[in-house]
Amino acid sequence: MERRTAMTRSMVVLVFIAIAMVVSPAVNSLPTGIGGDNIQSQGCNCHNTLPSSNVIPSLAGLPEEYNVSTTYTLTISFSGGPAEGGVNSGGFNLWASDGDFSVVDATVQARSPTELTHTEAGNDYRSWTIEWTSPDHGRNVDFILHVNSVNGDGANTGGIDEWNRLDVTVAGSAGAGLEAADAFKVLGTLIMISLVLLTVTILYGFYRTNPDNFTWDYLAPWITGWLTSTDHKRIGTLYFVQGLFFLGVGGIMAMMIRVQLAGPDTGFISQDQYNQFFTLHGTTMIFLAAMPLIAGFANWIVPLQIGAPDLALPRINALSFWLQPFAALLIFTGVFSGEGADTGWTGYAPYVVSAGAHRGVTFWVAGQIMLVASSTLTGINFLTTIAVMRAKGMGWMQMPLFTWSILVANVMLFLSIPAFGIGLIQVFLDRTISTAFYDMAAGGDPLLWSHLFWYFGHPEVYVVIVPAFGVISEVIATSARRSIFGYRSMVYAMAGIGLLSFIVYGHHMFTSGMSPTLRFVTMLTTMLVAVPTGIKIFNWLKTMHGGSLVYRTHTLWALGFLVTFTLGGISGMYFPAIAMDLHLHETYFVVAHFHYVLVGGTVFGMFAAIYYWYPKMTGRMLDERLGTLHFLIGFISYNGIFWPMHRLGVVGMPRRTHTYFITTDDFTSLPEWAADWNLFISVSAFIFFFSNLILVANMLTSLVRGQKAPADPWGGWSFEWMVSSPPPTPSFDWNNLPELRDANEHIANEPTRMGAWFNRLMVPDQEEEASN
Amino acid sequence: MSGYDDSDHPVEPWGPHDWSHGAPHNSFSPIFMSMGIALFLFMMAQAWSFGTYTPGYIPGILLGLAIVGFGLFIFWRQDISFDGSYEPRSSGVPFKNIQIRKVAVWVFLMSEMMVFTSLFSTYMRYRLGIENCGDMYERLEASHELVSGATYTCFEPASHLIASSGWHLTPGAINTFALILSSFTIVQALRYAKMPDIDEEVRRRKVYRYLGSTWCLAVLFLTLKMVEWFIGFHIPEIGFLGISEQNIHPLVAEGYTINADAYTHHDYHDFIMNIQVSASLFYVTTGTHGAHVAGGIIGLSYMTYKAWRGGYTPTNAVSIEYFGLYWHFVDLVWVLVFPFFYLY
Repeated sequence: MERRTAMTRSMVVLVFIAIAMVVSPAVNSLPTGIGGDNIQSQGCNCHNTLPSSNVIPSLAGLPEEYNVSTTYTLTISFSGGPAEGGVNSGGFNLWASDGDFSVVDATVQARSPTELTHTEAGNDYRSWTIEWTSPDHGRNVDFILHVNSVNGDGANTGGIDEWNRLDVTVAGSAGAGLEAADAFKVLGTLIMISLVLLTVTILYGFYRTNPDNFTWDYLAPWITGWLTSTDHKRIGTLYFVQGLFFLGVGGIMAMMIRVQLAGPDTGFISQDQYNQFFTLHGTTMIFLAAMPLIAGFANWIVPLQIGAPDLALPRINALSFWLQPFAALLIFTGVFSGEGADTGWTGYAPYVVSAGAHRGVTFWVAGQIMLVASSTLTGINFLTTIAVMRAKGMGWMQMPLFTWSILVANVMLFLSIPAFGIGLIQVFLDRTISTAFYDMAAGGDPLLWSHLFWYFGHPEVYVVIVPAFGVISEVIATSARRSIFGYRSMVYAMAGIGLLSFIVYGHHMFTSGMSPTLRFVTMLTTMLVAVPTGIKIFNWLKTMHGGSLVYRTHTLWALGFLVTFTLGGISGMYFPAIAMDLHLHETYFVVAHFHYVLVGGTVFGMFAAIYYWYPKMTGRMLDERLGTLHFLIGFISYNGIFWPMHRLGVVGMPRRTHTYFITTDDFTSLPEWAADWNLFISVSAFIFFFSNLILVANMLTSLVRGQKAPADPWGGWSFEWMVSSPPPTPSFDWNNLPELRDANEHIANEPTRMGAWFNRLMVPDQEEEASN
Repeated sequence: MSGYDDSDHPVEPWGPHDWSHGAPHNSFSPIFMSMGIALFLFMMAQAWSFGTYTPGYIPGILLGLAIVGFGLFIFWRQDISFDGSYEPRSSGVPFKNIQIRKVAVWVFLMSEMMVFTSLFSTYMRYRLGIENCGDMYERLEASHELVSGATYTCFEPASHLIASSGWHLTPGAINTFALILSSFTIVQALRYAKMPDIDEEVRRRKVYRYLGSTWCLAVLFLTLKMVEWFIGFHIPEIGFLGISEQNIHPLVAEGYTINADAYTHHDYHDFIMNIQVSASLFYVTTGTHGAHVAGGIIGLSYMTYKAWRGGYTPTNAVSIEYFGLYWHFVDLVWVLVFPFFYLY
């Protein structure tokens, strides 16, 4: 697979080079100097495709071994070729890998501190004098000199003009020095290491289940059991392991991004590579980490909470899971060849269908299509399960809030994701068989993609936060040792968020040129969605106020969630005000906002869920001291990462750009403190990353050595606490399903008037069956 | 972690499955289907890149499809022994006593509605947003602005070709009736499978023949679609009926392709059109519907085989109803696609 990709890729690259060399000169502005981005690789191909050995360039004045921080006077000259004295006889471009050039007269101009070319005044010379100051590190420096020798007739056709290239390396006292690390090699290595660690952990898990039989004969059925299981608990664990693994991989990408951004112009990740980094970071975190973690808990806990032995469609559930690792393989295709998707996780048209975007975009799209299928099947499964498999006595308004949150999230998901799927299929077909959905020359409309994407994209972000709401409700109620305050309003709030989420997506498109009327309407609906969310926050606060809070680690994370999600929600409320959005769009303010709600919301919710339900899922208690340590370090470092980003965004630090500048003579510069705060953010990021390893260590050691967990360690009331830890398989006996009798935390069992009317409408009489 | 507590419960991930114990606890089907889909999409992306076809990947594409087929085979190997003894029903309002799998099919159809809604949205955006080629031609002709040799980007609906004559419409019309008829035959299959007091051999034959007819009609649908798109057909002269000889060209021969950036039509004199968007929309939308019909054919193949083996009895006849629901949905979508894409 990789060889073929590499072969295809090199063929494509060769084709592009050939086309570029023949069709479009890579350099520009001829009499006034030679520039262009590709001169180092393609030469002065305006004058001729290939260099000519008649022209002999020379670079005089360089020492055998330079002294650090010394200025040398260099002379660039050439002989040969058709140049005669007078007009337009020659030009040059000199590039150095290090050091600084200085211009001494008007015949030379600097394109950058390390690249010089001639000026219009210097266009009729055959030699030029410049100065070069050596760097202070003492490593070898490379020079690339291009000179062209022209016949002065002002035309560059006919093959008369000639050019040539000279490569010179000047040694320094320190020798060749270390090769700069290639970001993709680093990423690839770290991913490999993570995979090895995962494999070792899995094998160790196998060893612990069966210490006396650590042989292949026992391993094969054990692995087969995991690969083929349709049991919701096993599938939940599979989702979980996948989610945690990709949380780590996404985190590694984030760490590398923070290394790149730790200072201005660090040069660790190139512009092109950086585009791939933030694309993959976003895609990995949302689709391969957050959603599987939520699916993992949903799979584990929802059937237990409603008293169902399994989900409605067990094999389809397994299919939903298995689509994900294979989709991940497709999405990550291109990372190891350097041609990964570079469109941003939002994949905007027309770039996403352009030949300029990397080859990996097609595979990214294909992987996303598989994930769409996975999510659709999951949505169908959970909606059906919750609708039809609730225990006797558990009406809709007696369900635990986590189950409600999964229901709302899945309804939003499976109604919105097909639109994304269709958009993806259109992009896939555009990129393969060349349909014209987003081909602007043929009349295609890139805004169509934006609509299809954000019609899904906005409900999607609520899909990842609403289950966290459910977790927080469960955790706070149990920790406060009382039932949640305002159960009914919590349900209506979640349903309201679910409904509203479909009519606010325009707020992602405020800068796309949409009509002012629609922008106004979307502004109002977006502001409206804060209301049900606020209701939930007040209900949580009131639950604690009326209860007696016990501080376990899950409680701490839930409290942290309340702080960070509220802050994230408030920062989000700046965007509906359209004038503010126009200013803040594509700045780090956006990055701060969504990381506050995604990490401070979803991830913290998932951490709370881990500490809350781990005893149920594994039968072991997690260590509370390690948990508290994880929380303290993690919470503080997390705020250290994302809080300063608000201010950076307001002063205009743009997002999705590989570096930033603080020099005062560049109009896109930032104030000097921006660099200091970016460094602070990067350091905090590393602390946060490593604090999460405390959680992993806690989970692994508790699995082996943790205290055995009772059925109900926290004093919860929902059904999952009535079964053993871990639960048996099947979770409940089909012939002996539980019955809900006393749901004291929920309202009374009598149906409301609406419920009674619905009952009479839908439920058939006792004598006849609903269908035969 | 939790394994299985009862030791008399063999693990059969390859099938067949004993349904008296409930749904399969293990199945290789999901992992193989996922592997196959990933391989198929990967090979498709390698084979085609911006319209450039690189040969040599067809075996890979077929391998991917074969692996998906293998996964389906395992799925059905576990299902073929299903006799309805395990068909749980809903316990709660509002679906009380309705089979769980039936509710699941309805929910699935809701998501499929969103799929076709998105396709129709795309169609509406482009159909209403890009000027119709006929209107553009008339407008430019009337104002004498038509530039000879220039290419104009406009929306050319397929109906201009297909609805241009009765013979052109014939495959589409037959297809419509074929699908509607197939919805009838599938209901008949269900009726005979459910019928309480008939001879088992009679039941087997009736169900098998009705399912087989549904299969044949679905295959006819796809065949006529291929005729319409790629093959075309010839009408011989039948003097006594007043039918003159005609050659009905397929759409691609008329130039109606997704790469058509220099399309002409005899109605528009000296008018070159870029109709890539219109053609892409037509083929992808009707193609998506066709893909759903193809999926139905695959399901029908399994069901016809199971019926031939006498596998449908009143206890498990409801399985036919699950497919019937999906099939009615496909029929309904066609009833919407046909007027919008073929007639209007």
